[in-house]
Amino acid sequence: MTATQSVLQKKICMLGGFSVGKTSLVKRFVASVFSEAYLTTVGVKIDKKTVDLGDRTVNLILWDVAGEDDVSTLRMSYLRGSAGYVLVADWTRPSTLEVALSLRGRVEAELGALPFVLLLNKSDLQAQWAIDSAKMDELRQTGWSVRPSSARTGEGVEDAFTELAARVTAPQ
Amino acid sequence: MTGLPRSVADALHSVTHSQRALAYLQIDEELKLIGAGGNLENYGLGAVQLGGQAFDQAVFLDGLLPLPETPFLLPSVELAGGRAADLHFYQHDDSVWVVLLDVTAERDQARRIQQRAYEMTLLQEKEALLNRRLEATNAALLATQHELESSRAALVRVHERLPRELAEAAGYIRSILPAPMSQPFAIDWRFVPSTELGGDAFGYNWVDADHFALYLLDVCGHGVGPSLLSIAVLHLLQAASLRDVDFRDPSLVLKALNERYQMKTDHDLFFTLWYGVYHPATRRLDYGCAGHPPALLMEAGTAGTQSVQLLKAKGSPIGLKRGAAYARETVIVPGDSRLYLFSDGAYEVEGPDGSVMSFDDLVHVLKHPGMDGQSDLDLLFQHLVRMRGANALEDDFSIVRFMF
Repeated sequence: MTATQSVLQKKICMLGGFSVGKTSLVKRFVASVFSEAYLTTVGVKIDKKTVDLGDRTVNLILWDVAGEDDVSTLRMSYLRGSAGYVLVADWTRPSTLEVALSLRGRVEAELGALPFVLLLNKSDLQAQWAIDSAKMDELRQTGWSVRPSSARTGEGVEDAFTELAARVTAPQ
Repeated sequence: MTGLPRSVADALHSVTHSQRALAYLQIDEELKLIGAGGNLENYGLGAVQLGGQAFDQAVFLDGLLPLPETPFLLPSVELAGGRAADLHFYQHDDSVWVVLLDVTAERDQARRIQQRAYEMTLLQEKEALLNRRLEATNAALLATQHELESSRAALVRVHERLPRELAEAAGYIRSILPAPMSQPFAIDWRFVPSTELGGDAFGYNWVDADHFALYLLDVCGHGVGPSLLSIAVLHLLQAASLRDVDFRDPSLVLKALNERYQMKTDHDLFFTLWYGVYHPATRRLDYGCAGHPPALLMEAGTAGTQSVQLLKAKGSPIGLKRGAAYARETVIVPGDSRLYLFSDGAYEVEGPDGSVMSFDDLVHVLKHPGMDGQSDLDLLFQHLVRMRGANALEDDFSIVRFMF
């Protein structure tokens, strides 16, 4: 118990539209696995992953929140106590970027400015990319951390969570 | 459970406990776990120890306490063991009670319904995306089709205009050719341009009172470009207008033309030329040749037995190599001789079976003029057309006959 008390613990929420790959990203990060089968998330699913940042160790408590769609809106109570969040959009579906941008606005209005990264997931499906890279550059110029990622190949996944872990534990 | 008898309330509690896998945690103000009970194993919480930090043992509690409100509900939370629970939070005195009720069955049912709805939505999105791409592709194809139709229409217009213009160009060339003549010597010719118009042209004229020039040229290629060059050269020879050149000397004429019409500066065109100068008083014929078929000098005699001289001279086609030299040759023309100038189109004809007429065949035809007074020039042309097996020849047909 003494040892664990010295480890930082931070709650991170996965947010985005439905079927953008939030659960797959968590599985890739936590268990290094990927499944082609799509299984929608209902409510929220909680996982834990320890990240070694060199000078400190962080337990990330990952809240994989059900994707937002036309019917279901994000339940803000799930976000209570979050230190940061991962916004996820599907690079092959432009509408999911709009959903991510909308979520980010509502989260900031509710919880204030929290560290976050925006992942453009499914980067492995290059032939189907449907979001203009100019839009990504535009978001980066506003100071956002925008990263390509692929739960299938693992591209960008570890780096994104490590970056967020560092930011949510950085000395104020 | 106000109003319910104790026994009914206990029975309801028992049902909830058994069917909903009721479990609870109790946390004090210092966020330590001070109480736990019920079916904790169902949620992967069987090993919790009282007295420790609550959020170390139940990670889902991290950040949630103290409570923002009471009661507080987090529905359908999937915990480490894979079970889904509704988490009910209650503030009671100085501690928080967290009651876990299993909703895995409801979660699974909701997931099945939601899954179908999402899959349907994804299919619709894909269909819409494909439709947009198909529409874009279709629009691009239509635009390409319109461009092709426009190009085709333009090509048709050009195709319709081209033969007319080529015929006009051929008519112009014919108009600047000299007329046949009979005195002081008989000259006759045939000029039948090909459908694509070649670069043949010829002429004859007095250079001075004693010297008569005769020439035939063939510009490489077909079409208006070669024709324009042949017209320009013909005008120049007719006017004898090369500065400081003695047009009585064939080698000087060919050399001067070669310096003036280099293919590097003249649209990659070159031409062959046979040029001769006849001196009637001495019957002397000086001549030069720039890569052209030799002229054919046929002496008088019985058909088929006439003596034939091929009037050749060294020299490359005009325009190929700057500084090229051209030989001047001389022949004394016997009485009652015939001299033929022609281009390669007068004998290089390929038949439908691939057979090719040779220069010797040409000589043979010219040695055997028709018995019914028909011109040997017409007989030659008819022979070529028959051999070709078509109404028109592939190249210009040009031949000039001088009778000295």
